[in-house]
Formats: sequence, structure tokens, C-alpha cells
Amino acid sequence: MPSLLRWLARTPHLGALLSTWRGRAIALFVAVQLALPILYFTRKDPHDERFAWRMFSPMRMAHCVPTATLNDTPFNLGGEFHEAWLELAQRGRFRVIEAMGARLCKEHPNTTVRISIDCVYLDREPRSYGGYDMCMVPEL
Amino acid sequence: MAKKRKGGKPATKTPGPAPMASGAATKPAATKPAAGRRPDKAPVVVPLRAPEPTFWFGFDVAWAKLVVVRVVLFGLLAIDAVLQIRHAPRYGAGGFNVAQIPGLDALGPSRATYEIVQLVSAYLFVLAALGVATRWVLPVVTSLYAWMYFTSQLDGYQHHYLVALVLGISCFVPWQRRPDAEPATPVRTWAVRLILVQLAILYLWAAISKMNGAWLDGRTLANQITGPLRSLVDSSVGIKAAAKFAIFAEITLALTVWVRPAWFIALPLGLLFHTGILLSGLEIGLFAWLMLAMYLLVVPDRAFIWVAEQPPIARLRRALARLPLEGDVATGVAVLGGTTLGIVLAMLCRLDHAFTMAIALGIVPIVLVAARRLRGQRGGAVVGIAHLAAILVWVTVDRASTVATDYYRFWGGSSRRLGDLESSERAYRRLAEIQPDDGQGHFQLGRLLLKRGEEAEGLAELQRAQTEEPARARAYVAEAEYLASKGRTAEALEKARAATHAEPDSQPAQQLLDSMTKPNQPNQFKRPDAPLDDDHE
Repeated sequence: MPSLLRWLARTPHLGALLSTWRGRAIALFVAVQLALPILYFTRKDPHDERFAWRMFSPMRMAHCVPTATLNDTPFNLGGEFHEAWLELAQRGRFRVIEAMGARLCKEHPNTTVRISIDCVYLDREPRSYGGYDMCMVPEL
Repeated sequence: MAKKRKGGKPATKTPGPAPMASGAATKPAATKPAAGRRPDKAPVVVPLRAPEPTFWFGFDVAWAKLVVVRVVLFGLLAIDAVLQIRHAPRYGAGGFNVAQIPGLDALGPSRATYEIVQLVSAYLFVLAALGVATRWVLPVVTSLYAWMYFTSQLDGYQHHYLVALVLGISCFVPWQRRPDAEPATPVRTWAVRLILVQLAILYLWAAISKMNGAWLDGRTLANQITGPLRSLVDSSVGIKAAAKFAIFAEITLALTVWVRPAWFIALPLGLLFHTGILLSGLEIGLFAWLMLAMYLLVVPDRAFIWVAEQPPIARLRRALARLPLEGDVATGVAVLGGTTLGIVLAMLCRLDHAFTMAIALGIVPIVLVAARRLRGQRGGAVVGIAHLAAILVWVTVDRASTVATDYYRFWGGSSRRLGDLESSERAYRRLAEIQPDDGQGHFQLGRLLLKRGEEAEGLAELQRAQTEEPARARAYVAEAEYLASKGRTAEALEKARAATHAEPDSQPAQQLLDSMTKPNQPNQFKRPDAPLDDDHE
């Protein structure tokens, strides 16, 4: 890494930029912004397109139906969570669904909380996630 | 007039205004007269050489352009901040939140804090738009915006992220006017270059995300655009070609938007592209307008200078410059008048905390003027004027839009669905108060009161709703259901009939009447209540 930085510092334009703190801050900002969207391809949640500039992508068209049961009895998520969160769940956002599961597990101890989402996509086959006890396995 | 420098090359000794951010050396003519044509005794302004790399540190824009961008960009953000208040009831609802960044869930705003922070943000954006204390105002409003964005995934779309980034960068733009600034004065600012580079990165990744079969064959686009643009696309190039054009446009913009010599490509293409998004029917609020506003940065400087030097504008500038805003009396009148009138004006704003915040923010002009005094500067009347303008923006946006009624409607609806009936009642009472001639507040309030056993007031509210929305069945249905549940069958039947008369196509009304007149109808009073509600976001 230090040798890479030394090499970068020797390139004509970049060398001058990296010679000041202001220049280094600009270079860091640009590098982070260029690289950050790559994180999308490393995420386990394909629906989570945050910080990746994937506006209007095919994944944006994914539609998921979340369902929840408490001890195998259907549970109305709309009575517990605001509809804006349900909208995010319908877009398949894992972190939101996992947080919903955690909340239900906390509010209903010693209960089996199952949340699943059935998703349909424009560019791939339909897929279901979850369906197991989220109090035991808190991640989708 | 300064010779235009292209491609970020370092400035040489050119007669004309020197870049402001890096300072300038003005000295008597020390160089040889150029072909003996230089007027006698005219000073030669020698811009300081920009530090390397000049791509960043030699980038300058005309003062006229910076002013227009400042007013339009921050003005739009001020309007957007007030409009966002309709989403406040989402925040903290049911005590649930998921932050953008793990670990920040507990720091998310509540309904009240979100509303207050958006009011304060709108206020600060107006101050920034008018060039008041931008070095202080922008970091504060950027922090507030970043707090709202990063601590909750609600409203966490890509454009909110972009605005957070652009605001962060714009803290480093010298937005405030120097005393000697003229429209053509170049202002050296690497931060504007960085905003353009940020836009290029956005376009690049947006194009990459579309490079797959589902986009290229037009399926994705066909599912997303509606409205006039869809008709235009269908009747001309077709959706498949439009999808490919979107990728072409984004790649071209990624390559051109940050390079001054290529602005002649980026400007028309970017305007066309974002106008298209504006016409696409996508619900992205003011984002397309914000992107169009950012394209002001790509308009050639000479266009702004030309406009600023047109006689009517030049006269207006001179008149504004002559206003006696620097005197103590003018400052005192502006600050005291601005804060007092601001409080009076805020009484017209129907948003929950607007009046309280107008009183609290009255301290801002006083502090800003005091800070000027401590720095040995006089004047500051513009601060009082900006304060008043900011509150005027609250009131105007409120009165010209449905933001206040949506706020109370969504608040009442979400509280009711999440079981907080007390909070819901407060919201609907306020809705009925600010819009008494709309049946929504009366209807929902009536139902809540009846549920709580307040029969007289509840029925009165339902009857008021029937008066205000005579062509809707829902208030009649609700009253009929209540009366029937109390065994007042004859009155209930009368109301059920009135419901079908008011809205003959209403399925709930017809079902109710059938259930009362045909005894073998099942589920007499247990229909889903969704058809009666329109308080969902």
C-alpha cells in the first residue's frame, strides 16, 4: 500500500493534488464515491441499492409480499409498523425486515416469529426469503 | 472583460477581474504595454497563479452564475424542506426505526423533531439563498439534512443521498458576495468542480446499473414511466430505443458534465434528460427540478454575465446596491421589523410548530447582527429581510400546497392504525380546525369519538362530514352502523338509505342497506373499513 501511494504521488496531476491536505481530501472523496457503489455487488441483499446510484434499475421493479406469523398464527404487520416501513419491506429491504423480526421477537418473547417475503422480479426468477423463526435466526 | 481561460489552464497576466477566492494582486502597470493600446494609468489586475493542480484549484465561475445557482438551488431546497413535512408522521411512528448506518437507529427523528428540523432547514436554506452567513448557515443545515438522512431509511432515496453530498461539498463554495464583486468577477472554487465530478460519478454508475437485458429490452423503463413522456415515447422512438438512449445519455453526461469545453454537449443533453424524467410521472418530488437547477453550473458564464448586464437587470442591481442597508437605523428596523412581522406571519402557517419556531428563530437575526458587530462590521439589515423571507416561504408553501392537511391526515391515519387513538384524535381535531369545510377531519374524528363512547360529539362530527361531503357515503355509513349497533334500527335504516342516495356507486353503502333490508345477508357490520379511509400515505 505505501508503495502504491508513493507511485500515485509521483504521477504528475495526482502528485500535486496529494501534496496538500485539501487535495488529499478531494482525492479521498472522489475515490470513495467511485468505489462505494461497488459495495452493492458484495451485499447479500440484492434489493438494497442504497449508495450505489442505481436509480430506475430493474431491481427497483422488484415486488415482494411480506407475511408474518406469530406461533403460526397470521400477524398483521400493518398494525405494528407504519406503512412506509411496509413499503420498504415490499421492496425486499432485508435490513428493514430483519429489524421488524427483531422487534416482534422482543415484544413477544417465547414466541415463534416467522417473516417471509415472496418476491417477483423483472430480470430473474421469483424467489422467497425467510420463513424460519427469526428469533432463532435473526437474518434473512 | 477577462479573457476566458479554457480547460483549467493557469491564469496568465490578463487584464480583468481577478479570481476572488484566491485573492488578486492589483498593481500599477509594470509590464510592457501590449502594442501600446493600454489606457494610461489603468491598473493591471494580475490574477495570482492558481496552485496546482489547476483542474481543481484553478477552476473558477463568474460571480453572476454563482449568485443564480445559490438562489435557485437553495430556494428549491427550502421549498422541498417544507413539502417534506407531510412525511413527518412516518418518523417515530410505533417507535420503530431503521437507520441507514447500523447503530444509529435510536438517533432517528420523531414526528415532531422531523417537522421542526425541516422548518429550520427551510429557514436556513432561504438565508443561504439570500447569501446570509453562508459559512455558518450551510454547515448547520448540512448537518441537519445529514442527520435526517443517515438516521432513518424512511425517505432514504438516492436523491436524498445526492443532496446530502452536494450540501456537504457546497459548504466549501464561497457563496458570499465580496464587496468588489461584479457579475463577471471570476470566483475560484474547487468545490463547484467537485460537485460536477460527483454528478459524473452518479451518471456513470447509473448507466452501469442499466447494462442488462431487462433494461435494454425496454421492460424496466416500460414499467416506470407514465404520463406525457410515455405517450411521446410510444408514438415516436419506442420504449426499447428510449431505454438505450437513457444509457447513452448517462454515459455521455458522465464524460462531459465536469469538463468545461464539453459543456456544450452536457447542457442540452442534461436538460433534455432531466426534463424527460420530470415528465415521466415518477414520484420523486422536486428532485428533477434540483437536477435541472444543478445544470445552471454548466451554462456558460458569459450567459449569466450577459443577462446581468442587460439594462433592466443592471438598473435593478444598482438600485439594490444603493439601498441604505448598512446604517444602524436600517439594520435595527429590519431586524426588529423582520422578527416581529415573522411572528405575525407565522400565525398564518398551519404547520404544527411553525409559530413556536418563528419565535425561537427570532434570535437568529439578532445573533448574526451581533456577530457582525463583534467583527467590527456594520449593517446587516439583509439578515432581518432574509428572516422574514424565510417565514414567508413557510406560509406560502403551506398555503399553496396540501402539506399541512396531508401532515395531519397522515398523522391521524398512522396513529389510528397503530392503535394510538389519543394522538390520532389530536391530529384529526387539528385537521378539522384548519380545514373545517373538508369532510375528512370531521369523519375520522366522529368515528374515533364514537369508538370512545362520546356519542353526541361523535354523531355531530359525522353529520358535519355529511354536510361537507354530500356526495360521499362514508359518513352516512359510519353513522348508520353506529346507530344499528345501538339498536336504533329505524334511524340506522334512514341513514343507510341516505348513504346510497349520496353515493349510488358506493359498495359499502349498498352492502349496508342490503344487510339491513335483507336479513339473510352475512357480515352485517363487519366489512373491512379500508374503503372508508383515505388517510393512508
